[in-house]
Amino acid sequence: MEDFTAKFKEEAIDLMNDLESALLVLEAHPEDKAQVSLIFRAMHSLKGTGSMFGFDKISSFTHNLETIYDFIKEDKIIVNQEIINLTLSSVDVIKSLLDDDSKVNSEINNLYNEISKKIIDLISSTDKEWENKPKIQQIITTKTELDKTSTYFISFIPNENIFRNGTNPLYLLDELACMGDSIVIPHIDSIPELKSYSPSMCYTWWEILLATNQSLDDIKNVFIFVEDDCQLEINFISSLNLLDDKDFKTKFINKPPEKKVKGFDQTKAFIELFNKEKEKKHINITIPKVNIKESNISSIRVSTDKLDDLLKLVSEMITVQSRLSSYSEIVKEPELINISENIAKLTRQLRDNAYKISLIPINTMLIRFQRLVRDLSVELNKEVSFESIGGETELDKKIVEYITDPILHILRNSLDHGIEDKESRIKKGKSERGKIRLKAYYSGANVIIQIKDDGKGIDPDVIKNKAIEKGIIAPNSILGKRDIFNLIFHPGLSTASLITDVSGRGVGMDVVRRNINDIRGEVEIDSVLDKSTTITLKLPLTLSIIDGLLVKVADTIFVIPLNSIYKIYAVHLKMIENNFYNLIALDGKQISYFHLKEEFNMPNKSTKQILHAIVVFFEDKLIALIADNVIGEYQAVVKPLGKLYNFQEIISGATILGDGTLALVMDTNKIINKFSNQINNKIKGE
Amino acid sequence: MNEEIKSLNSYLSFRIGDTSFCVNVNKVLNILELMKITKVPQSPEYMLGVINLRGEVLPVVDARIKFGIPIKENTANTCIIVMDIEFEKEMAHIGLLVDGVMEVFEIEDEALLPPPGIGSKYKSDFIKGVFKLEDEFVMQLIIDKVFTSDELIVVNESGNELTT
Repeated sequence: MEDFTAKFKEEAIDLMNDLESALLVLEAHPEDKAQVSLIFRAMHSLKGTGSMFGFDKISSFTHNLETIYDFIKEDKIIVNQEIINLTLSSVDVIKSLLDDDSKVNSEINNLYNEISKKIIDLISSTDKEWENKPKIQQIITTKTELDKTSTYFISFIPNENIFRNGTNPLYLLDELACMGDSIVIPHIDSIPELKSYSPSMCYTWWEILLATNQSLDDIKNVFIFVEDDCQLEINFISSLNLLDDKDFKTKFINKPPEKKVKGFDQTKAFIELFNKEKEKKHINITIPKVNIKESNISSIRVSTDKLDDLLKLVSEMITVQSRLSSYSEIVKEPELINISENIAKLTRQLRDNAYKISLIPINTMLIRFQRLVRDLSVELNKEVSFESIGGETELDKKIVEYITDPILHILRNSLDHGIEDKESRIKKGKSERGKIRLKAYYSGANVIIQIKDDGKGIDPDVIKNKAIEKGIIAPNSILGKRDIFNLIFHPGLSTASLITDVSGRGVGMDVVRRNINDIRGEVEIDSVLDKSTTITLKLPLTLSIIDGLLVKVADTIFVIPLNSIYKIYAVHLKMIENNFYNLIALDGKQISYFHLKEEFNMPNKSTKQILHAIVVFFEDKLIALIADNVIGEYQAVVKPLGKLYNFQEIISGATILGDGTLALVMDTNKIINKFSNQINNKIKGE
Repeated sequence: MNEEIKSLNSYLSFRIGDTSFCVNVNKVLNILELMKITKVPQSPEYMLGVINLRGEVLPVVDARIKFGIPIKENTANTCIIVMDIEFEKEMAHIGLLVDGVMEVFEIEDEALLPPPGIGSKYKSDFIKGVFKLEDEFVMQLIIDKVFTSDELIVVNESGNELTT
């Protein structure tokens, strides 16, 4: 049962996403009925499954919302801002109810009650309004309800003396016309010559094609009082609304008068002929439908556990394969080498495919962004449009999870501080409506996400002055534009509250940078004053495979991610022995270093004289890490160390080498952070 | 399925130093020969490091350090018992380095004697009870707690806990 509940939640979250995106589209195009039915359907399935799994609040809640959208479908009310707002906040409530339906805290409960009340108010007011409206409109709505509509052929030949009862056959026809679409064909062939014509006699008779959702009996009821004064024939023709088909209608009406139907048989023949003609077109219509079905099943839902298992097996296979190839090199048996090379090729393809499976398009997070922009722009009373390009770009699921919050933060900044209010925008000659554009694309082994707003931009001078004031940079330092913008990521600067007022970039850009760095990504910022601000995120495609450099420290092999390495130098042991300041000169530059063997507290047995300094990027500096030996490049499948090592920050995982042993993957940023803190503490202690 | 395993009264006994311990066999996945263990820098001494268990990274804990038993030379008997333990409400695989495994024995639940209280070298939090076999006592470990606790499970003479 718990399994089912989990599945329901998963499904519900999907539904909520569909719902949210449909709502946002509907807001832009209120007349879009397709979105309304989409919303209605989502609500409906949520209601149904919700009550099945005991989420009673959700189902009663959605039931009422559903009613509103039913009204919209029936044109009883039109979509307005209030409804959209109400539904969006309902989506939020449902989301929190999903987390815990029974034990919701009072805050959510209040919200729930408040929104429920609003919904019910809306429904009852609509109901009242509706009852007061004239009847005709209700008939119009029944017209649009096509579900059970059938087409009937009615032949109505009144007796000549029908007028004597005070019956006006035209009223009857009117009544019929009110029941649905109709074509009325009057036949006047039995009107006599004028001399024998009596104005109190009825000579005309009618044939009517009526498409209605009412029953045969209902039609008969129309004629109930004239039953005995006429010849009435009502025949069922088709269970479809033939009159809805414009082709049919025009053909039927445009027939030459002498060929116009007389009697049911002719009509039937005509319809059959018409249907045959139409069959060809029908084929054309059905094909796209089939296509839709195919596209529906072209993706399946797989649990992440299964994917993880697959990836585990694949990486195990890579390990075995590398053992095979090293063995075949030793044996030098041509046949074995041949097989081993083929397996190597296949494994590579298998690996690439398996990792592709775990990628998801960034579209999945765009809805949240759109929602944020919408909500916040209303709140701030700014008009902002959000557009996205390249939503199909795919990223590792974990990366998508990681970057969602930083991007939300960036968007919030853009909206709050970047984009100006309407008046200032007009004054500057910009369009009243601000624009934020998110663009994603592949660039080599990376994905680039660019967020650009057309707001007031950032003034580099202001940043520089602020940094000098805060003592982050020396007053006389000469910095390029790029360096100045990089200061925004400096923790000391961005936490200063003043910066929000002057530059437009608020608190926490350092956090954004840290989060992005955690997944081996990079952030950059650029701006044109009064024109735009662009923030660019450079992200790896996947977290689980990295290109690394194998290095040896004492007896342990480590992997340093290649993208963080600047250069490698050979250094003599003398250069770092008894070096008080931890500084070495490389290429004429002073670079501070950490001797890994000492920092890691590893037994120091080797008497090697030549060591290697691996220079890595750290924030905007270069830092050297001293290792005993450099082994070579390696494509590492990174595996977590497990929960028992949760406290361990400086190692981001382990990878299996060709011989089956493990190498540890360094997180250079965290290592350097940790070591420099240790040194700082030592200095303070002394 | 789980019910069935739980009702198994089979235990695996192993030696750490001169003391015998046991765990229910449903906790044990595998017994491995001693292999090269990759030490993870800046971790407590009893965390020996990680090994490759068929493509999975398996952390290994030195039972001798954790139990405060003097470390002897590794012998051919020294091995790693791979166990399935509950760690922070999730199941995880962990290897325990012991001086040697002894046997699998079956015994009724009733035979479990309460853990020795006063005068015991080990904290009762980690000991479920003691089985008296023919010629010796075997302590049954509450193995989940052994791994999840940062503490050493031995109480030293002065009553102070050794720190890692």
